[in-house]
Amino acid sequence: MTPLLRFRSVSVRFGDVSAVDDVSLELSEGELLGLVGESGCGKTTLALATMGLLPSSATVEGAIDFRGQDLLALSEDERRRLRGDRISMVFQDPAAALDPAFSIGDQVAETIRAHRPVGRREAKARALSLLREVGIADAERRYRDAPHRLSGGMQQRVVIATALANEPSLLIADEPTTALDATIQAQILDLIRDLRRRHGTTVLLIAHDLGVVARLCRRAAVLYAGQLVETAPVERIFEAPAHPYTRALLAALPDRSRPRGALAAAAGQVPDLAAPPPGCRFAPRCPLVRDECVRRPLRTAVSSGHDVACWAAAPAASTAAGEIVAATNGGR
Amino acid sequence: MSETLVAAERVSKRFRVGGGVSRRELHALDTVDLDVRRNEILAIVGESGSGKTTLGRSLLGLASPTSGRVLFRGRDVARFGRDERRRFRRALQPVFQNPYSSLDPRWRVERIVREGLDAFSLGTPAERRARVTEVLEAVGLTERHARSRPHELSGGQRQRVAIAAALAPRPELIVADEPVSALDVLVQAQILNLIASLHRDFGLTLVLITHDLDVVAHLADRVAVMYLGRIVESGSAADVLERPAHPYTRALVASSVHTHRTPGAERARLGGEIPSAVDPPRGCHLHLRCPLAMDVCRGVVPALEPRPDGRLVACHAVSAGETGPHTDPTKEEPHADR
Amino acid sequence: MTETALELPRRRSLPRLRGRVGREAGVGLGLLAVLGLLAVLAPVLAPHSPEAIDQHRVLGGLTWAHPFGSDALGRDVLSRVLFAFRASLSISLGAVAIALAVGIPIGVAAGYFGRALDAVLMRPIDLLLAFPALLLALSLIAITGPGQLVTMFAIAAIYLPILARVVRSSTLAVASEAYVEGARARGASHLRTIVQHVVPNAIGPALVQASVLCGFALQIEAALAFIGLGAQPPTPSLGLMLFDGYQVLEQAPWADVFPGLAIAITVVAFNLVGDGLRARLDPRGITR
Repeated sequence: MTPLLRFRSVSVRFGDVSAVDDVSLELSEGELLGLVGESGCGKTTLALATMGLLPSSATVEGAIDFRGQDLLALSEDERRRLRGDRISMVFQDPAAALDPAFSIGDQVAETIRAHRPVGRREAKARALSLLREVGIADAERRYRDAPHRLSGGMQQRVVIATALANEPSLLIADEPTTALDATIQAQILDLIRDLRRRHGTTVLLIAHDLGVVARLCRRAAVLYAGQLVETAPVERIFEAPAHPYTRALLAALPDRSRPRGALAAAAGQVPDLAAPPPGCRFAPRCPLVRDECVRRPLRTAVSSGHDVACWAAAPAASTAAGEIVAATNGGR
Repeated sequence: MSETLVAAERVSKRFRVGGGVSRRELHALDTVDLDVRRNEILAIVGESGSGKTTLGRSLLGLASPTSGRVLFRGRDVARFGRDERRRFRRALQPVFQNPYSSLDPRWRVERIVREGLDAFSLGTPAERRARVTEVLEAVGLTERHARSRPHELSGGQRQRVAIAAALAPRPELIVADEPVSALDVLVQAQILNLIASLHRDFGLTLVLITHDLDVVAHLADRVAVMYLGRIVESGSAADVLERPAHPYTRALVASSVHTHRTPGAERARLGGEIPSAVDPPRGCHLHLRCPLAMDVCRGVVPALEPRPDGRLVACHAVSAGETGPHTDPTKEEPHADR
Repeated sequence: MTETALELPRRRSLPRLRGRVGREAGVGLGLLAVLGLLAVLAPVLAPHSPEAIDQHRVLGGLTWAHPFGSDALGRDVLSRVLFAFRASLSISLGAVAIALAVGIPIGVAAGYFGRALDAVLMRPIDLLLAFPALLLALSLIAITGPGQLVTMFAIAAIYLPILARVVRSSTLAVASEAYVEGARARGASHLRTIVQHVVPNAIGPALVQASVLCGFALQIEAALAFIGLGAQPPTPSLGLMLFDGYQVLEQAPWADVFPGLAIAITVVAFNLVGDGLRARLDPRGITR
């Protein structure tokens, strides 16, 4: 079956900064995939590339197939038609996503009318039911409220309502709960899960917090400095992480069981994306680094549904690569 | 029992909101009692509006209480003369949350770290420079970093600078407000390790203000949980986080997105939103959202009551033993402090 | 020590002004430098005395001896422009300097201390601001009589409230930054904090505004002189030259064109510098 969304060797550059480097990833219909990584890893860039919202200074290579059709090859007009209709996005800061001059109800209704030939009254009715569905209590009365009268959590619910207004096939949620309090975070994540179940929407969740991804997603893809390093079902990520970076992420999480001052903190820092190291970008900090790491590791399967891009994690492929590197460096 | 270094005694802090003649007030803190013991790591936890930052600032003497008092070594800070005030200021140093706005963008690191020494006139200029080098080394920075300006450093490095600046005047207590929230996971770990080792090596007392329960579980000895300006539960970090008693603490722990879950997490959820601190609900602030709410909760503010296991909990239901389907963990034997 | 080598600081130099803005600001600065030099060296550079009347050269056109022509009294326009420019520029810069000298402390105090002091300081400022600029200037002149000095104070009075407000607003932003509280926690007195942290970080927008206001100040000085309420002859002023030249516009347009050009070029130069300053100051310290 054709995957709903497919990144094929996608690379994104901003001038001389390589934000995304040759990422290939698939999402099946109805899936809940979490894209995890620290700041600057390229996860938001990928999301913006999918939505067609990258600034004009960005150059994109590769293909992003949505239902088999390459989004990057479409005209701006065609992409605009998809936005808010077939593909929607929810951002981190709900207050910034809502226009302070209009009521929340009107904003949901406007999203509907922008894409469907629906009368004002019908759009309003649909908006009302959406607001109820996302858990806005007393929706009739709050329909006319301006966004600033709502708390952060409520605002994010409204944003989710506008995102789902036209029953999109794909919902991209970029750190939707990072700006919210802990108790509200849980509510919003559960809301997303319920809505997905009810509408069958495919969800791409972007997060820097592995815990958030664990709570909501079945599968996770880990990014580091613009490269995809590991993809696996969420339980496998926690139980048997294959890539050294994923392991470092997990080992760095503060925990009651770990003695004070002894969190395994990977040395060094994220590389400068304007001058990234060749091959695997984690190599300079990796405890398992070897010679062949100057060449980009191939994606190999560790187990069913579990891929990793690491020479150390896939010994057989590594030896072959090692020989090639040794051969090309013959005159060292 | 350790000596109490600084304490808040029935501290309330209210801010006038709305310009001009508006009478509305923001109740940031409401009769808070808290003591910080020498050498401990005390965490103050809460969501937005909980007042944790205001409490931190009150302890530092940066925000004078509307009522109540802050005590330093048992003496009222408000009554301090100039010299005592200076000693107090020097003994308590802050580390702020945002590594991007906590350092003057125009100053070089060396001067930033030296500021406390200059302002308090500690030592000769040569001694101050030596001290700067000493603390920079302690936080893992070098001469090159000392000559840089903040915008040339990464978030983690900037936070190290902030820590070094706090350490320079040889304080006894450091109040760190969300010291790692703005940092990535791997960098977070580096800074947390640093904080832990500095606590150990310099014999510091630490007040850690945070919303991240995992950090609390990892680092803190004791924790105080705040909701809308009041402390609702306090006790040893292990007890409070692993067997939370107060309904709010239970909800907080249940929402913690870490994979460890306490049993019965689903039932501990709170509905609704956090009310505004401008017009807080009467009685117990949580009563509108609480699964255990009783009539008395609507009218009477619950006081922090000592429980059999040594914790303090402010909840009518827990005090009355009416905890419904939840077991009351405070009835067990007290656990040894870490 | 808890870890191994930390990355060395990345030498991210302050964003150099790129492209168009950089060139504009450069042009502006260059222009200002030249103009400034001209103003300072006017007595040296002027080929003739600005007062020298020459009946043979009345309304004379552009010649080698008189590159800008001669006016209705045969005086050399170039020399007159140089001296008048010098006078007008001094008054304008003086006015803005006064406005800054008074406005900055008021704005900083109001923004930093807030509450009562803010109200007390800003009400008179708001009052001044509420007056239409021209009315304000004329009221002052009505009290003291016309002249160049009173022009300077009038212009200062017009711009003082604007600069005070700008400073107050940026002070409000800076005063709430964590490093200001940090300074206080590390023992810095209010004065020390203000001088070392608040003013350096808050003064940028005011300087940008001030540079543009210099150009406006020049225009107001000229306007007041033109209507006879500013500099009185024989004090030189570009405005007076504009008035004189206006009388003989048809016969000797150069008598008006050159003083007018002097004003225009100076205003453009100040605007360019203002733009450049704004671009330079904005990205500072707001990286990320």
